[in-house]
Amino acid sequence: MNLNERYQRAFSAVHTSTDYYKGAKQMNTMHKIKLPKAVAICLAVVLALGTASVAYAADVGGIQRTVQIWFEGDRTDAILDIRDDGSYHLSQKKKDGTVREEGGGGVAIEPDGKERPLTEDEIMEHLNEPDVSYQDDGTVWVYYYDQALDITDKFDNGVCYVKLIHDGNELYLTVKYRDGYSFSPNRYISADNGN
Amino acid sequence: MRLSTEETVQRYGDRLFRIAFNICRNPADADDVVQDTFIKYHSSKKEFDDETNLKAWLIRVTINRAKDITLSFWRKHKETLEEYVETLVFEEPEDSRLFEAVMQLPQKYRIAIHLYYYEGYSVREIADILKKRENTVKSQLGRGRMLLKEMLKEEWDNES
Repeated sequence: MNLNERYQRAFSAVHTSTDYYKGAKQMNTMHKIKLPKAVAICLAVVLALGTASVAYAADVGGIQRTVQIWFEGDRTDAILDIRDDGSYHLSQKKKDGTVREEGGGGVAIEPDGKERPLTEDEIMEHLNEPDVSYQDDGTVWVYYYDQALDITDKFDNGVCYVKLIHDGNELYLTVKYRDGYSFSPNRYISADNGN
Repeated sequence: MRLSTEETVQRYGDRLFRIAFNICRNPADADDVVQDTFIKYHSSKKEFDDETNLKAWLIRVTINRAKDITLSFWRKHKETLEEYVETLVFEEPEDSRLFEAVMQLPQKYRIAIHLYYYEGYSVREIADILKKRENTVKSQLGRGRMLLKEMLKEEWDNES
């Protein structure tokens, strides 16, 4: 047995018993509950968009429908499948003809501590959140509804702050270069506290 | 590409915990680190070129978070390293000695050694993950190996 095998055998004794998946779902949702005003504003925007664009399709497993979402500055059709447990699967044909798949979702925690599956509105809200994309050519872009912003040269000490406005609502985005991003309707989240 | 959070946890939970533990040397802190990593993954919509790229991102986030926690005033430290080692079940007695020897190495050597021997990364790949020069990683691996050899003596010579 060589050292690699012996090392791997020794460290295979180390395990965790923590349910990280449950923790990740809960923390992601608790973050939303801490900002009820922000959620209300965003939901209002999404509801208006959702009502105009949702068309029901075949019911396969969960509730499957065709929706219009913003992706990299363009409004495109996508198939959204929402399951009973609050998870979703999104399938979207991109401009270049390739299909982009995305999944996620989870549960929300009510004030009394009870869990419930995320609603369609909450999932749509999540899908319409700002997105930061690192391109192969080295440029960095922020996408938010119909806006596509090149922020490549806007980083100072690895952090970039972007004010986004949609339908009169402001969103303050903090981007740490290749290390996540966070946003709030009230203020820029400190880079030390972000994702 | 992107895996569901549930699948990512299933595939990488223990692996990231080992990396975090390797740095923190404390199971409670390591759990916090890995939980933070998966929260970051879950709340991000980041797409990856392939699973190799995803794994490297998870490892990089875990290492950075673990380093932050080891510098933090708020470390939990509920259980000492010695107490935790006593709870582990090793297949062979020499596994326990190797584990304890690695835990005695300086942190920077432990990380390089773990990525090399456990994860099977090359020097170039480790340099990319740690954002260090290849020569620095080579040096850390070399010094780490030398210290392990001193601690494990004949055991190391017989099996390496």
